[in-house]
Amino acid sequence: LGHGSGGVLTNRLLESGVFSLLKNPLLDTHHDGAVFELSGNLAFSTDSYVISPVFFPGGNIGELAVNGTVNDLAMCGAIPRYLSLSFIIEEGLPISEFWEILVSIKNSAECADVQIVTGDTKVVEKGKGDKIFINTSGIGQVHPKAHISSKNIKVGDKIIVSGNVATHGIAIMSVREGLDFETTIISDTTNLNHTVKALLDDFGADIHLLRDPTRGGVATVLNEIAKDCGFGINISQNQIPVLEQVFGACEILGLDPLYVANEGIFMAIVAAEIADNFVKKLSEFDNGTDAAIIGEVVLEHPKQVILTSKIGGKRVVNMLVGEQLPRIC
Amino acid sequence: ADAAHSTAQNTFLISLYGLVQGVGFRPFVYQMANQFGIKGQINNSSQGVKIWFNGSKETAKSFYERILSDAPKLSKIIDSNIQIIDYQNFNCFEIIESYSTEKISLLLTPDFAMCHECLTELHDPQNRRFHYPFITCTHCGPRYSIITKLPYDRLHTTMQGFVMCEACEREYSSPTDSRFYAQTIACPTCGPQLKWHIIADGNVVKSTELNDYRWILSRINRMLVSGRILAVKGIGGYLLICDATNETTIQILRARKHRPTKPFAVLYPNLRMLQEDTFVSDFEARELQSEVAPIVLLKKRKKEFEQVAKTINTNLTHLGVMLPYSPLLEIIASNFGKPLVATSGNISGNPIVFEDDKALVDLAQIADFIVTNDRKIVVPQDDSVVRFTKKYGQKIMIRRSRGELLNLNTEKKSEKIFISFGASLKSTFTVLIGENLYVSQYLGDLESYETQENFEKNLNHFIDIFNFSLENIMIFCDSHEGYFSTQLANILVKKNKIPLQKIQHHEAHFTAVLAENGLIENKERVLGVIWDGTGYGTDGNMWGGEFFINHQRFHFEYFDAILGDKMPREPRISALSLTYYLAGFEEITKSKFTAQEWNIYQKILANNSLKTSSVGRIFDGVASLLGLSETQTFDGEAAMQLEELAENYFQEYGYDFPESYLSESFNDVPTRLIIRGILIDIQIEKSKEFIAAKFHYSLIKSIEIIAQKMNTKQIAFSGGVFQNAVLVDLIIHHLAEKFELFFHKRLSPNDENISYGQMVLGMNKYKNL
Ligand SMILES: [Fe+3]
Ligand SMILES: [Mg+2]
Ligand SMILES: [Zn+2]
Ligand SMILES: [Zn+2]
Repeated sequence: LGHGSGGVLTNRLLESGVFSLLKNPLLDTHHDGAVFELSGNLAFSTDSYVISPVFFPGGNIGELAVNGTVNDLAMCGAIPRYLSLSFIIEEGLPISEFWEILVSIKNSAECADVQIVTGDTKVVEKGKGDKIFINTSGIGQVHPKAHISSKNIKVGDKIIVSGNVATHGIAIMSVREGLDFETTIISDTTNLNHTVKALLDDFGADIHLLRDPTRGGVATVLNEIAKDCGFGINISQNQIPVLEQVFGACEILGLDPLYVANEGIFMAIVAAEIADNFVKKLSEFDNGTDAAIIGEVVLEHPKQVILTSKIGGKRVVNMLVGEQLPRIC
Repeated sequence: ADAAHSTAQNTFLISLYGLVQGVGFRPFVYQMANQFGIKGQINNSSQGVKIWFNGSKETAKSFYERILSDAPKLSKIIDSNIQIIDYQNFNCFEIIESYSTEKISLLLTPDFAMCHECLTELHDPQNRRFHYPFITCTHCGPRYSIITKLPYDRLHTTMQGFVMCEACEREYSSPTDSRFYAQTIACPTCGPQLKWHIIADGNVVKSTELNDYRWILSRINRMLVSGRILAVKGIGGYLLICDATNETTIQILRARKHRPTKPFAVLYPNLRMLQEDTFVSDFEARELQSEVAPIVLLKKRKKEFEQVAKTINTNLTHLGVMLPYSPLLEIIASNFGKPLVATSGNISGNPIVFEDDKALVDLAQIADFIVTNDRKIVVPQDDSVVRFTKKYGQKIMIRRSRGELLNLNTEKKSEKIFISFGASLKSTFTVLIGENLYVSQYLGDLESYETQENFEKNLNHFIDIFNFSLENIMIFCDSHEGYFSTQLANILVKKNKIPLQKIQHHEAHFTAVLAENGLIENKERVLGVIWDGTGYGTDGNMWGGEFFINHQRFHFEYFDAILGDKMPREPRISALSLTYYLAGFEEITKSKFTAQEWNIYQKILANNSLKTSSVGRIFDGVASLLGLSETQTFDGEAAMQLEELAENYFQEYGYDFPESYLSESFNDVPTRLIIRGILIDIQIEKSKEFIAAKFHYSLIKSIEIIAQKMNTKQIAFSGGVFQNAVLVDLIIHHLAEKFELFFHKRLSPNDENISYGQMVLGMNKYKNL
């Protein structure tokens, strides 16, 4: 590895203590791993974050890496406790950018109330990576009232999204493709665990399933749910919350917002009786003000997701196959 | 038996195969037998018509010959034989009960438009069926739309619940009556009845108790006169009907149907009134009055006072028209005395509504009144649509449905049953059972869930009436993974563990036109010109401007395919893509976009990798460059406007054209050279008509150049682009002398023919799998 000149990150620089910023008692012990005690049912999740661009309107890869795993744990009905954090850094990443990412990580972890207890960094030669890749793994304690499983889904259950759909994907795309939309669309990557905990406190086992519709969007998650539970799903285009400028951007790009990636929102399948209260409770949180019931679980058309359009036509919302190729002949 | 003299009596069995049921065959043979003094029996079986009788060999021979030569005109005998069987005794000639066997080999009988005799009776106040909307006879009326089972018999239709009254029974059993053995026989006393429903705010508020058809027919007329919209149950489903001369009514219908510009079909009371508004050639008149009675696209006359509201076909000079084909439409149209809109009753994008329950919910969103009746429809069908080219009168099928069932007999017998799933936007399926091949009617755009349901329902109906299981079958589908038909095929294949083969879209088009013209065997020598909107190509690009000959492929030079299904919906995007690499013409395309769109699309184009050779998109792009259409609300809108411009030019200056946008030699057709030529002509302000005509002519040139280079004498055409009547006339005008030309005959050139092409190609290739 060559020595980075002038503010460029190298191994040597890293050795000077990347993790000092993230200091906490467990990280300080200089063991090969963290040792701790946790009781009850545990949830364990991992994810790697590869995103271009690394910085986007409303966030960067660092907070995405923390929130992503925190939210995955939350979707299991767990309260996230400890995270691992690993970097693969492409040589040449400006050190200022790396510090910005690190600070974001620190802030997000604090916000989510999780501790980063173990970690690793590797630097690869220029051209062998794409600026920076991050892996996080997390452990959380399952909420005592939670009973999250697609087996609990019943006909009549309501489908809820906690916020506006497609915002993150469009924000990323507008930077990556250099598309300038009139108003800046800001991705709302955020931790959902506090919100989810509060909902579990109140509604417990009436929450049948929680999912975060990241890659593949709402459409993909709905299809997976329909396949898992064996029922049909009806959703209504009128009910799906989409920011006006995001909707406009989708129009311009010929994209269906249902297939666009999300961050900072989640989907819940809940018993019909609690659905309205669930949405009410959600709307008390900053990240739930746009929550809406978008559909329900039905007996008809098993394993299929059907969308009723604004003009009353019905369309099958399929799993996305490959890229969206034109079909019209 | 060897001692039999020619005068000795034997028992014979005649078997007739093909389209022989529901066309008056049994009564016809009955009368013939009586003329001959022949005793015996006849019935409908699962394999056609069987006749047992006694007679001498000579009598048998002439009886048999007369049956074949004088067969009812609606029948189609594809095979027949006569044999001597064990002697039986008959006392008279009688029609005996139909029987069904496991193996079914029958061509399906389509629905027939009302015949002339029934029309006369319908308007005869002395007749007991005067104005009765369900009058039929052995020669007319619904067939396919009401069958639940085979062989064809009243018991196997939705007429089975109506018990014949004495008078009908008498006609039914009287050999001299025109309703002798007419399975759909009915009258006001015993037959189906209309029912009247009043709608308010999208709901049925009242269904009247009084179901007197005369009262309802009079109400219908009064409501039409006052500009109301009615949903009326017809032969293949519900039709939305309203005054075609009332602009306000049309606007209300457009708003309620969410159908801003797509033309509506117009029902004229009679040919005379139709001729006042449009140009009707002899063959068009014949088609309109045939037993199919489809919608025919006709050119409107230019008149000072136009009867039909302008917004029925905004921006177009052609009008889709039809004449009354059912007794109900006949009474409605003749009472009203003016043209009526008659369009498929559905929520836009969904299939035609044919069930009463659904009509009372869905169509209540659109209609002010709904007229149901208690004759159930089993198979929904839209009205078929055809057009004829102006100069050469070449018939082009646009939508094949009611009255146009396609049953083909193939020589290739197969033990296995094959099903092909067709394309997506103009979906059909094809089933091959034994030697019979059935191409379903147009089933619509599979994007809609209800169309998918309808597709499956129709397929299951086939499985039911032909009584086969999904075990020993094989399936063909398109290679486009995003097609719903492909996905349906995948589901079926997984569920039943049966083999599946994918067939490339344009190969299927090519095979379809070859097979329709009996050319499968000499495929190698024929140049296939396959032009359409989009098909998934073997190189992963979107094809659509293809030339196939002897395993070689030429195509229109690729251009960028961007933005998914937005591109076909917005011709301006095709214009943008086609002009992308051409410097100096930006101002022509730039004005079609906002600055933001322009910037974004430039970036998308710079990074795009998906290419297309689509002639459909080239039509869109040229239409947009000429300022005809930037976004379209229905398939083919822009192309149709371009075609009409070219037609105006050729009508005025003749079909010879001095120059094309092409140079004489090329490998793949130089798309951008054509576009460049057009852009220059736009800049030097040539007329739009001239440019449209020159563009059409250049396409003809491209075919000629490739055909000559490949040294072929035969050219076959398929793909949606060949719905363009001007293009077809030009092809005939310029190429018919030098080449033998093959077009689709009963199939539409558009994706409706894909399932048929998949079937023939697949069957030949994968028969032994
Ligand atoms: Fe096609
Ligand atoms: Mg994850
Ligand atoms: Zn008749
Ligand atoms: Zn009767």
